[in-house]
Amino acid sequence: MGGAAETFYGVIRRQGITRRSFHKFCSLTATSLGLGPLAASQIANALETKPRVPVIWMHGLECTCCSESFIRSAHPLVKDVVLSMISLDYDALIMAAAGHQAEAILEEIRAKYKGEYVLAVEGNPPLNEGGMFCIDGGKPFVEKLRAMAEDSMAIIAWGTCASWGCVQAAKPNPTGATPIDKVITNKPIIKVPGCPPIAEVMTALVTFITTFGKLPELDRQGRPKMFYSQRIHDKCYRRPHFDAGQFVEGWDDESARKGYCLYKMGCKGPTTYNACSTVRWNGGVSFPIQSGHGCFGCSEDGFWDKGSFYDRLTTIRQFGIEANADQIGMAAAGAVGLAVAAHAAVTAAKRLTRKPGRVAQEK
Amino acid sequence: MLDKSPQALTAAVAADAVRSGLSAERGVVYVYEAPVRLWHWINAAAILVLGLTGYFIGSAIPTMPGETSDNFLFGYIRFAHFSAGYVLTLGFLFRIYWAFMGNPHAKQIFYVPLWRKSYWREVWHEIRWYAFVAAEPKKYVAHNPLAQLAMFFMFTLAIAFMIVSGFALYAQGTGNDSWQYKLFGWVFSIWPNSQDVHTWHHLGLWMIVTFALIHIYTAVREDIVSRQSIVSSIISGEREFRD
Amino acid sequence: MGAQTPNGFKLDHSGKRIVIDPLTRVEGHLRVEVNLDSDNVIRNAVSSGTMWRGIETILRGRDPRDAWAFTERICGVCTGTHALTSVRAVENALGITIPENANSIRNIMQLCLQVHDHLVHFYHLHALDWVDVISALKADPKATSALAQSVSSWPLSSPGYFKHLQIRLTKFVESGQLGPFKNAYWGHPAYKLPPEANLMALAHYLEALDFQKDVVKIHAIYGGKNPHPNWLVGGVACAINVDGTGAVGAINMERLNLVSSIICRSIEFVEQVYLPDVAVIGSFYKDWLYGGGLSAKSIMSYGDIPENANDYSAKNLKQPRGVILNGNFSEVLPIDHGDPEQIQEFVAHSWYKYPDETRGLHPWDGITEPNFQLGPNVKGTRTDIKELDEGGKYSWIKAPRWRGNSVEVGPLARYIIGYVQGKAEFKEPTEKLLKTLDLPFAALFSTLGRTAARALECQWAAHQMRYFQDKLMAHIKTGDTATANVDKWKPESWPKEAKGYGFTEAPRGALGHWIKIKETKIDNYQCVVPTTWNGSPRDPNGNIGAFEASLMDTPIADPEKPLEILRTIHSFDPCLACSTHVMGPDGQEMATVKVR
Repeated sequence: MGGAAETFYGVIRRQGITRRSFHKFCSLTATSLGLGPLAASQIANALETKPRVPVIWMHGLECTCCSESFIRSAHPLVKDVVLSMISLDYDALIMAAAGHQAEAILEEIRAKYKGEYVLAVEGNPPLNEGGMFCIDGGKPFVEKLRAMAEDSMAIIAWGTCASWGCVQAAKPNPTGATPIDKVITNKPIIKVPGCPPIAEVMTALVTFITTFGKLPELDRQGRPKMFYSQRIHDKCYRRPHFDAGQFVEGWDDESARKGYCLYKMGCKGPTTYNACSTVRWNGGVSFPIQSGHGCFGCSEDGFWDKGSFYDRLTTIRQFGIEANADQIGMAAAGAVGLAVAAHAAVTAAKRLTRKPGRVAQEK
Repeated sequence: MLDKSPQALTAAVAADAVRSGLSAERGVVYVYEAPVRLWHWINAAAILVLGLTGYFIGSAIPTMPGETSDNFLFGYIRFAHFSAGYVLTLGFLFRIYWAFMGNPHAKQIFYVPLWRKSYWREVWHEIRWYAFVAAEPKKYVAHNPLAQLAMFFMFTLAIAFMIVSGFALYAQGTGNDSWQYKLFGWVFSIWPNSQDVHTWHHLGLWMIVTFALIHIYTAVREDIVSRQSIVSSIISGEREFRD
Repeated sequence: MGAQTPNGFKLDHSGKRIVIDPLTRVEGHLRVEVNLDSDNVIRNAVSSGTMWRGIETILRGRDPRDAWAFTERICGVCTGTHALTSVRAVENALGITIPENANSIRNIMQLCLQVHDHLVHFYHLHALDWVDVISALKADPKATSALAQSVSSWPLSSPGYFKHLQIRLTKFVESGQLGPFKNAYWGHPAYKLPPEANLMALAHYLEALDFQKDVVKIHAIYGGKNPHPNWLVGGVACAINVDGTGAVGAINMERLNLVSSIICRSIEFVEQVYLPDVAVIGSFYKDWLYGGGLSAKSIMSYGDIPENANDYSAKNLKQPRGVILNGNFSEVLPIDHGDPEQIQEFVAHSWYKYPDETRGLHPWDGITEPNFQLGPNVKGTRTDIKELDEGGKYSWIKAPRWRGNSVEVGPLARYIIGYVQGKAEFKEPTEKLLKTLDLPFAALFSTLGRTAARALECQWAAHQMRYFQDKLMAHIKTGDTATANVDKWKPESWPKEAKGYGFTEAPRGALGHWIKIKETKIDNYQCVVPTTWNGSPRDPNGNIGAFEASLMDTPIADPEKPLEILRTIHSFDPCLACSTHVMGPDGQEMATVKVR
């Protein structure tokens, strides 16, 4: 690698990517941006001579758990990501600059790398109160988000906040917190849900883009298939206990100590698409189920509003009544059962009052 | 008012037919053809299995003692659920086929002539009959108009919903590349969090339980109280008019 | 307008105004504005929390057993500490006791957070206020090695190691793509470290980045993941099974060993890298003792880390508990979280509405209604603010006060209180560090003091992890492996109405949650968090909060590059997502509910 400035092309070639697949990426990018074939060669030329992909990492309404997770990555180490793989030019959490010097970076990247930078969004914009529930540089965050999205190449929605809305969008969503795909509709958005997403999933996604030079294949809901196509349940190491019908019935009971299935403790593994049971957390040390607590589905849409995390069946809140499907069903079936019984009784009574006459006649 | 359109064979028409041609003496009409009867009982058995196993999938069984490798009870429960689900689905598909191939009554559970005034008059009469206001029920060869209404909404639509949502949930296990997911994965575009699909599928179970209660009760009741056979009809296929 | 605040600060907002927004390297969104006099000394400071999420509104009507997960999402940096506070509040309200093992495991997790958070805060959020990255490129690797070896026995200290790093950094800088180091204040006159110290600190910046991910593996073992590990009302969810059937699926010997080895490595890293670095940096900045603010006057610590389970009284808490007011260090006042006269929140200068904004409200009775109104002298528009008007409402943070006093919370408050209470484990290390730097006790009341106290606490917490891990092992040895109390798990066993509170010492300071439960659901939930105390705006009496106080009278070398402001604000480790919590738009309705 001659020269001080390591280009994006240099990095991906070193990672074993052929020139051909590199050009494929460029035409893919061009297509995804709605540009013609000429643009593809321009992009290719740009990436060969221009340096590492600039990444702008923005924070809306969030808790910073996504950033915290990102820096937990064991492979690759986050220092290598930041020093060698991408150019993390703006991230209010770790950047040294502040105030107007920080704001100047946004303008600079937008102008200099038009259509070439990746916008990574952590958190989401609130739309109530003119967006002023999240003020950034004296203005509503949503303005800054829209502006930076305008000239980006692609957008990564980090975590459940950006992907689905997460906790601040849970009912009654007082700030009008809105997932970013409802605000930005003209750009490819990769959703990486989870509260937070797994560190190695985050860095794998970033390095996938820089290494293979393309955006990953997404599922129906915009999530990368490579990490979100199977449920926790499908690869859970406690699955044999589920199939056997061996369940934890209460915290710290005999079954809990034997590591049985947490299904009855409300585990949402069967409805949660994520890589926790395979990639696991913090360098593969554990994941929620392994440490005895059920999954509560933090990478799923609206998971905060499905009733208690410890209930097997969702709480259905309608007309001010709170119940789960079993309670509603039993009540309905019970009511119908009672009605049937009452109806039968009336029918019988009517027949009895009519019968004596008939019987007499027949005799 | 004989309607010559394909939808002509409605309950109302059938009722007219009964009144005009058959009610003169104690008549017997062949209503439920053998395939429909066979389907009915297989379907009933499948629903019984699906209901029971489905309930236990939602509210799991007490924990099994012993070695994990010696047990597969929950697996068997789910296996039974899925197998019965396939039986129900194939049966339902056959039943749709038979709606076209069978006699006119075979179509009855697949539509409701909501647009026809006379139909609603008939429904009103049935409601009066069940409310003990009307003294005598009318006679129908197939389902009475109220039954047709219940059949369509509480059975046909409910079962269709259960099949679609059930296969969508099944596709979670078979994976994104399976034909089940390709055919039914769109359900998750309506409910991105599959927990909701579970919830609605579970509510569907109770809808069908409720339907079954009403269905069995009215069948038995009408058999006793009204002027026609009901329960035996689905065994023999023949409807007997007793007066 | 030269106004004197009741808590003793002279404010003058007539001079040049400078604005920093976003104030980076903090959790969340923070804005700071200051007025400088003709000598560029800060004469008026305004700090504004610029985000609001309404978590407590969202909590109403939910299952109290779930509250920990919601409140945990208040903050992903101090992850877990809100959850612990929440389960304590619920347990307090419902009268649930937890087993000893659960207490030890919770303590280990809380201490693990302290170690991790302090480490990441110092190196990744704060160090660049003291360390000049560009200057490190000029360092002599040999001299750097000599410096490193003179202060620590940490093995990564050879000239080759520093040389290799320097080459990598040089390449990085020469690429022109500076990434997170772009547009910063490099070369600023307020940077005092020689190139060698800068290079050493930068090496440790990267090493700490590698190491911090291992510290939190303790959370993964006991809580399943980090950030946002899992907690449980009534104990902890991880069952212990050391040698029985199925032990591989529980906390077993392998897991305990893993925790143990991480604790050993943490102690090593803190003692051989973090503390020596703070000492080196301190020795070059010991003349820059600005930023004391409220620390010399009024400080508070709730105390935390209960020695035995279920006892949250001062004598059972390992971290100090109490309040010092108006510089009276001879008297540590007791705290009662349930006393409506003690902890109160005011909103006169916050974007919320009270029926009577001259009065404060205790968290149990707190009402909140967002009220985004700017003062008459604001510059700019409603959605494009150029300069705030601190005479009106100017922050999404409320102003909590203890008996009407604004207080500073955090590691420095804890250490000063521990020091004046004569607790050896806090007093001795403090004295030792002061002696090394040849500084008097009063030097603690400074930005540097805050930074140093955090480092000392990190070391203390690492050793306490060891203590509680040993305690846990000893307890398991006695045959007691209980980790959860499920007697009152089912909502049917709860009283119709209950209220309670829970508190912890978060890395940033005193944290409290107040809960009211009605018919098994949350009726009211309030959090008063460290950055609400520290970052609070003014109260109706004009008392300024700890951030604003700490900036007063600090000279700024270059108003275009206000490095000194960043340095002092960062020394608090602000957490804005935490501080800007509170109730929702229907807060008014809650008030009427309560009146009934």
